[in-house]
Parts: sequence; C-alpha cells; structure tokens
Amino acid sequence: MNATLRLSAASLRAHKRRYFGTFLVVLLGVSFLAGTLVMGDTLKSAFDSMFGRATSGTDAVVRSADAITTPDDAFGTREPVDAALARTIAGLPGVAAAVPGIEGRGQLLGADGEPIGGQGPPTLAGNWIADPDLNSYQLAEGRVPRRSGEAVINRGAAKAGGLEIGDTTVLRTPDPVRITVVGISTFGGEDGMGQVTFTGLTETDAARHLVPEPGQAASIRVRADSGTSQDELVRTLRPALPEGVEAVTGQEITEENTDEISGAFLSVFTLMLLVFAGIALLVATFSIHNTFAIVVAQRTRENALLRALGATRRQVLGQTLAEAVAVGALASVAGLAGGIGIAAGLQALFPAVGFPFPDGDLVVRALSLVLPLVVGLAVCVGSALHPAVLAGRTAPLAALRETAVDVSAASRVRAVAGALVALAGVAVTVAGVLAGPSTALTGLGAVAVLAGFVVLGPVAVTGAVRVLGAPLRRISGRLARRNALRSPRRTAATATALMIGVAVVSLFTVFASSLKATMDQSVSRAFAGDVAVQASGFGAGPNGLSPKLAPALAALPEVDTALGLGQGVARVDGSGRALTVADPAALGRVLDLGTVDGRIDTLADDAVAVSRDEADKRGWAVGSTARFTFTDGTTRPFTVAAVYEEDGITGDYVLSRTAWEPHRLRDTDRVIAVSFAPGTGRDAGKAAVERVAARYGNPEVQTRQEYADSSAAGLDIMLTLVYALLALAVLIALLGIANTLTLAVHERTRELGLLRAVGQTRAQLRAMVRWESVLVAAFGTAGGLVLGAFLGWAMVEATAGGTDSAFAVPPVQLTVVALVGVLAGALAGWRPARRAARLDVLRAIAAE
Amino acid sequence: MTTSAPVLTSAAARVTDAVKVYGSGDTEVRALDGITVGFPAARFTAIMGPSGSGKSTLMHCAAGLDTLTSGAAYIGDTELGALDDRRLTLLRRDRVGFVFQAFNLLPTLTVAENITLPLDLAGERGDPEWIDALIDVVGLRDRLHHRPSELSGGQQQRVAVARAFAGSPDVVFADEPTGNLDSRSGQEVLGLLGRTVRETGRTVVMVTHDPVAAAHADEVVFLADGRLVDRMTAPSAERVLDRMKDLDPGGGHRP
Repeated sequence: MNATLRLSAASLRAHKRRYFGTFLVVLLGVSFLAGTLVMGDTLKSAFDSMFGRATSGTDAVVRSADAITTPDDAFGTREPVDAALARTIAGLPGVAAAVPGIEGRGQLLGADGEPIGGQGPPTLAGNWIADPDLNSYQLAEGRVPRRSGEAVINRGAAKAGGLEIGDTTVLRTPDPVRITVVGISTFGGEDGMGQVTFTGLTETDAARHLVPEPGQAASIRVRADSGTSQDELVRTLRPALPEGVEAVTGQEITEENTDEISGAFLSVFTLMLLVFAGIALLVATFSIHNTFAIVVAQRTRENALLRALGATRRQVLGQTLAEAVAVGALASVAGLAGGIGIAAGLQALFPAVGFPFPDGDLVVRALSLVLPLVVGLAVCVGSALHPAVLAGRTAPLAALRETAVDVSAASRVRAVAGALVALAGVAVTVAGVLAGPSTALTGLGAVAVLAGFVVLGPVAVTGAVRVLGAPLRRISGRLARRNALRSPRRTAATATALMIGVAVVSLFTVFASSLKATMDQSVSRAFAGDVAVQASGFGAGPNGLSPKLAPALAALPEVDTALGLGQGVARVDGSGRALTVADPAALGRVLDLGTVDGRIDTLADDAVAVSRDEADKRGWAVGSTARFTFTDGTTRPFTVAAVYEEDGITGDYVLSRTAWEPHRLRDTDRVIAVSFAPGTGRDAGKAAVERVAARYGNPEVQTRQEYADSSAAGLDIMLTLVYALLALAVLIALLGIANTLTLAVHERTRELGLLRAVGQTRAQLRAMVRWESVLVAAFGTAGGLVLGAFLGWAMVEATAGGTDSAFAVPPVQLTVVALVGVLAGALAGWRPARRAARLDVLRAIAAE
Repeated sequence: MTTSAPVLTSAAARVTDAVKVYGSGDTEVRALDGITVGFPAARFTAIMGPSGSGKSTLMHCAAGLDTLTSGAAYIGDTELGALDDRRLTLLRRDRVGFVFQAFNLLPTLTVAENITLPLDLAGERGDPEWIDALIDVVGLRDRLHHRPSELSGGQQQRVAVARAFAGSPDVVFADEPTGNLDSRSGQEVLGLLGRTVRETGRTVVMVTHDPVAAAHADEVVFLADGRLVDRMTAPSAERVLDRMKDLDPGGGHRP
C-alpha cells in the first residue's frame, strides 16, 4: 500500500463517524435505485410468465382486424365477431377446438353487499370456456357453470368479497344479475390477473347480459390438433374468415398482453420510480459534497503539514478521493444488498396488503447490480471531487495558521452569475409557456432556474436567515442565527438538498391542485343539472350505468330531464376519438355548453357537434364535413352542425343516439345528468333519484360539487404515491442537515465548551443547535416553496396546451409542506443537539 | 493534610479536604490530595506550583467545572457537590466569571455581545452602568462592534476579562490568562485584573506558572503534589521564583 492509501485508511478509521452520514445517504440512494431495477425486472418477468401460462393453450385467436385506438385507450376497441363463426372454424382441418370468447363488464357484490374492486383495474365478466386449454382462468375449486345463473369467480374476487361456493350474490352488468357461485378460478396460478376481477357465466347468460346483441363474441379462441403448429393453424384459418376478421397466433396474443402490461404499465411505473431515485441521488450529492467540504476544511492544518513535509498536491488530493471511493464503494455494495432486500420485501408485502403481484423468483440482472454500483460510486466521488481539489491546493503555510474553520463567504461573481442564470431561466421558462406552449423550452428554463437557485443559495442565505430568524429573540435563537450565518456556502449547500426535495413536492402539489381546479372548473361550468348519477370507482373500474336507468329517472315526477351520456368510439378523419352519445334535444336542459355556433338541439343523424378546441385544431366550422369510420367498418360523412365551448363533460364529440345506434358496442351510459322538476326540493329530488338508482346497481348520486370533485378522484391517489416516493429525497436532505450539524458541532467543540463554562445550560445548548437546524431547514423549505410554485405554474401552463386551465396554489397543502419542512428541521437537529449537550465542558475547552 | 490554613468565613471560594483522583489502579493519579484552602473575598489570589502540582485541577474544582472525588468545594456558602449539572451551570453563569488561556470569545459575536454573553444566557440585562464602566476600564469602547478575529490577542483577553466581570460574579477564575500573550499584553491584562480587584472589591483567583504574573496578586498559594505547601502575601517575582525553585528543584517552570 502506498503512502496516500495508507493515510486514507488511517483517516477513515479515525473518522468513521464523520463519514457515517455520507455512507447512509449513498446507501439509501443506491438501495432505491437497485430496488427499483430489481423490482421492475421481477414484476416484468412474473407478469410475462403469468400471461404465458394463461394463454399457453390458445394456439390462435380470431378477431376483428381493425382496432380503433384513442389517445386515452391504447389497447383499442374492436368490433365483435359472430359467435357462430366458432362452429365453422371447428370444422376446419387441424383445429381441435374453437370456442367464442364473450367478454363484457360485470362488477360483483361482496357478501356484505359492497361492490368488489373497480378502484382502477376493470371488473370483467365473460362466458366460462369449458376447454381448459382455451380458458385463461383455471377452475381451482367447485365446478363449471352449467345452468343459467351459475358462475365461476376468480379467487381474488372471492377473497375480497368474502364469497364462497354456494353463495348467491349480484353481478352488475350494470343491470343486476343474480348469480350463484359454483366455482373458484385462478389466473395463471395466481388469485387473479392483478386486481382485475373476472366472473365466468354460461355461454347463454354471457350472450344475454354482457353484449348488446346475442351472438356477438369478442373473439374466437382456437386450439390446434397436435402436430399442427400455430403458424400452420393461422394459415388454415385465414381463407375461412369473413372480411375484416383476422387470425393471430397465441404467441402474438401473449406478446400483446405482456407488452400492454410490462411495456405500457410497468415501464412507466419503473421509469417513474427511477426518476424519483434520481431526485434522491441528486439531493444526496449536495449532502456528500458538504461532508467532504467540511472534512477538508477541518483538515486544513493536517493537509498543510503533509504538504510541508513534502506531499505533492496530487497525493493530498488522492487521499481525499481515496476516502470518497472507499465510502462510496462500501455504501454502494451495502445499498445493493439493501435494494435487493427492498425488492424482496415488497414482493412479500404486496400480497399482504391485497396487491396480488404474481409470484416468481427475484430477477437480478447484471445491469441492476452494475448500474447502482457505478452510480453510487460516481455520485460519491463526483461530489467529493471539488473538495478534494481544494485539499490538494492547501498551502503548506496553512499549517501554521490558527484556525481551520471554513468561513467561505459568497462572492460578487457568484451573486451576478447566479442572478443571471436564474433570470435567464425564468425568461426561458416564461417564453416556453407563452410561445407554444413548448414543454422542451419550459423544461430547459426550469433546469436553469434550479441551477440559478443553487448558485444563488449562499448569496441569499445571509438575508434569508436574518429574516427567517428575526422572530428568534432569545439568546439560543440568536446564537443559532449567527451560527447558521457563519459559513453561508455550507448553510446554503445543506439547505439546497432540502430545497430540491421541497421544490419537487410543491411542484407536484401545485400541479395536482391546478389540474383538479381545471377539471373542477370545466366540469362544474358545463354541468347545469341538479344531480349527476355515475358508477363509483375510477380508472378502468366503473362499468357505466344501465341504459334503462335514464328513462326510469325521467319518468319520476320529481325529475324534469334525465340525460344519459353514452360512449362511443370512431376514427374521425383518420384518428381515433371517443364520442359522447346523447339525446341532443335534452342536452341543453342539463348541460351548459357555453357559446354554441349552430344548433345542437336539432342534431340530425348525419351531423355531429364538436368542441371549440377540437374544431380549431382541425380547422372546422359549422358546415364542415368529417369522415367517421366505425368499428363495424362503415365510413360515412358527418356534417359539423354545432361547435360548443364547454367540453368538460361531453368531451370533443357529441352524436345523437340514433346516429350511433347502428354502430353501438356497449349499451351503457357513462353518466346521467338530472335536472329536477320546478318546485322539487334538492333533498327530495336526490332521494327520489337514489331510490330508483338503487334498483339499477346502486350508482352514486352526486350533487354538482361532488360530481366535479369525483372527476379528479384518481389524482389524489397519484399525489399520495408521489409524496411517498419523494419522502426518501426529503429524508436524505434531512440526514444531510443532521450530518452537517454533527460536523459543525465537532468543529465548534471548544466554543461549545466555552459557552457551557460561562453558563449556557444543556437545554440552551440543545435549543441553539436545534434552532440552527430549523433555520437551515426553513431556508431550504422557503426556497423550495418558491421554486416549486413557479415551476408548478410553468408546468401547468406548458402542459395545458392552450386550453384554459386554472392555476391554483393550494394554501393549506403548501402551509403543511412548510410546517413539515421546519418541523423536520427540528427533528434533524435533535441528535446533533444531544451529542453537543453531552460534551464534557473541561475536555471541550481543552480540545484542539 | 499538610499546612492547613484556617478556613476563612469571608472566603469567596474554598475547598476542604479536597481529593481528586484520575484513573484507577496502576494509572491512578491523585491530582488533589486532601487540600483545604480558601480564597478570600475582595482579594487577588494566585495559585502556583510546578507542572502536575494540581493547580489547574484545584481551580476547575473550585469553579464548578469539575467535581471532586471527595471533600467539598464552596462558592460563598454554596456547596458545589450538592448541585446537579443544571444548578452548577446556573451557578457558574450567575456567580462565577472565567478567563481562559485562549479561545475565550465566540467568533460569531461582537465584542459587546461577548461581554454580555453570560447575562444574555441568563436572560438578564445586568447593570448597564457597571458594564459601561467595565468597557472603559478594559479600554475597548472603540472596538465594541468588532468581531474577535479583528482584535489582537491582548485585546481579546481584555474582552474576556470584561466578560468575566460583567455579571458582577462572586469570584473570577483565570486560568493562565497571559499564557498566550507577549509580555506587554500580559502586563496589561494582569494590571487590569489587579486594578479591578482593588478598585471595585472583586475577587480573582488566577492559576499561573509565571512568577512575574503571580507578583500581581495580593497573595500566592503554592501547591505541590496536590497539597497546599505555602502561602505568601505581598509577593514579588523574585520571592515567588525562589519559593518555586525550592518546590521543584529539578524541573523549574515551563519557559
């Protein structure tokens, strides 16, 4: 071992505690990163194998070739095929079996009468396919449904609803269908396909309850004779199929399924986790840099002595870097172990909290090991680089100087450069918002603003701490303020870590609340009725309302108008779009569509009403013609008869029911807007609507405000997840504050001894250290709030894409963020304060 | 107990039968070996003795910075052994002043703030006239808003002296207050301590190894091997030096 390494090793041994904070911070960041990678791979592999198992017996699927995809539905909508086609196919050579797969929606009620699932994933129903090879689900207990009213439900749904074989319950399709559970099924060996519920009915029941017309099937599943390959089978099938119907191999279906889950869902999920791991590691770099900067400053005399004794710059620099490498490597390896542990823990935890992720061994790819290791090491060494260079530059004469305290102040160059960068960033961000808006330009500006804030930190810290610390009039608070101000660069760097964390938290808070306000505003502006009726749940969960409900409500004496809004899909001039299907004459009585060009109430069968935004995008006006292609393959022109302003409830296209009727796919209403008859009180009207609704699957009857709120329900869940993921970054920032304070306490040992000698009580000393921590945290939190609010505004405006969006700064949430930041600061100061208070007075005074 | 002096009831600080043992077994060191000594009020007393004689330990224990193994230490009539850490701290704050050899001042505070630090810690304003007078006595009026780093070593020690007296303590303990100063600055600080005692009736106890410094005191107490061996009133540097040579014929004092 050469001299440099020997010195590093000795220094590490002597100062284990100093590097503990750095070790912890790198460990946490690397754990998060490694855990994300391992979990992502594990989930992907588990899902892939689950889908592989589930469809392994299906050799070919026959279905409509054309799928109309919309921006919100990448999977697409296909026209059903004729179930009778199965019989034709079964007679073809090489075909062992062919059965129709009738697919629809159905939400089960549990033993307690509460609906099962529907919070995100869909609730599905279909015909129970007797051929076990062609059925994605396998019968695990009981028997298959033979008589009408019998059903097999998946084990996940059975567990969630407390249902057992022999139980009778209701399946909402959405019209209530009474069923008796005769069997329990599994999906690829699991309790279900994630949280999706599935109810298998007899073919007759499925045809009657799940599809608009009996005889329709989503697809025909085909099994080949042994000796016939999937490709051969598909080649045999093709000539026998009607136009517009295709045959694809089971292999391709599996790939489609796995792409949808692991491609679309999992990779977005993993990417999101990786972004947050990145934020955590970014925050960590500030903390690590600070630790090394302080350690180097404290070691000035030691390093100067080395230089005086003949050590080269490179040797002194090398010593510091070697310590960084050692700490980084140790922490990264520990972090890898931690990450794999996290992944294994989550795998065990998910089923325990009712999240049936499929089983399977942990998948640890080489990349999942190498990447976190490299990143952890790079973060640690990169953060230590600048302090190490400074260490190398130590003048030999510094050995003779008295003090070794870092008192770096903010330079004028920094102030000017920081201000320029920040201003340029603000300018670019605003330009990005105004011109376009351009997300790329806004993003670039945001990065520049962040950089500007980081550079300006030490400049701002003096004024900010004075202001924030102004309420501290007692001696401990005053001393804390002075301590926070003695090294602006260090205080700023410590606070910057927290600033970034808080900024991201506030950014999402502002963004989410603005998004909510936008939704709320557009929905409540467009809604002119008294109550809205819609199925509970969110995401793909709700199955819509029975088409019989709206007429039943309209028949009530308390109700003036009950307008059901149905859903449709079509390819409009080449691109898939969701449609709202409704009775045009009633539309204006329950919805406020704002300024309308043309007339919507007399919308004819060959006419469409279009939102202003969509019309502007497409360059349409009243009288323009658009070509609509439906899933059944028909294409015909529609005249734009009306252009309306408020699209919060209807979306971009409104078609009359008669126009949609020939192409209809699913007979459900998304929402029913109800207005009461004159003289009907709100409570009486609502009660009357609820009584009728109870007979049709008991959907929610919401007031105007409840309806507006519910349109943003999924957002809160997303926000909670984001907060949870950001908690790690904030934790790392707080560890950084604690670490800096611990080092500062160490550095100020004699000072603390003096204070204690001249009469500072332990409580006062603790208060002093904690107040310093609070001040640093308050500075970081304040900066983060300002930065987050600005970037939140930019993000809202940049993603709004010209539509009128509301920018809302939620005062309550942001106050909570501020309070949490400051309280967390007090918490971060707790340990350093205790350590400081434990100092022995005499030894502290005598300390070197 | 050797040359036991009668315990003065007018003592500002005193210890009786004080024993302080560091370590145990083979490494046991008896820093104080049953010493009884009082420091009379309104007097300037110097504690002298060769290295390892226990003079610093005596000061630390008498001032409540350290605790005795056995025996008792008093500030006025308050027995320190009966006090917990908090009461001891409050006693130091309110009734004792300190001047250390070095690092007496908080670098973040101005001269004025350093002087009133013990008062601020107590949440008291103190006696403004007294503090004002002190500032004149130590001659730092034009430096009140400077930071310690802007002062010379001698000036820093004068600030420390002002700080020690600011709260009108019963007794000020000075631990080698001139150890880090050149002789002229040292003379200034010692003169200041002596003047304050004589003009304002304060009590100072100073540990030193420098006969010239000790000569500024009203009385010198000599320690050897943790015991009181002599007291000398109206000392001069020469007499003190002679006495020290008797006590420690081999080593003498540190230069």
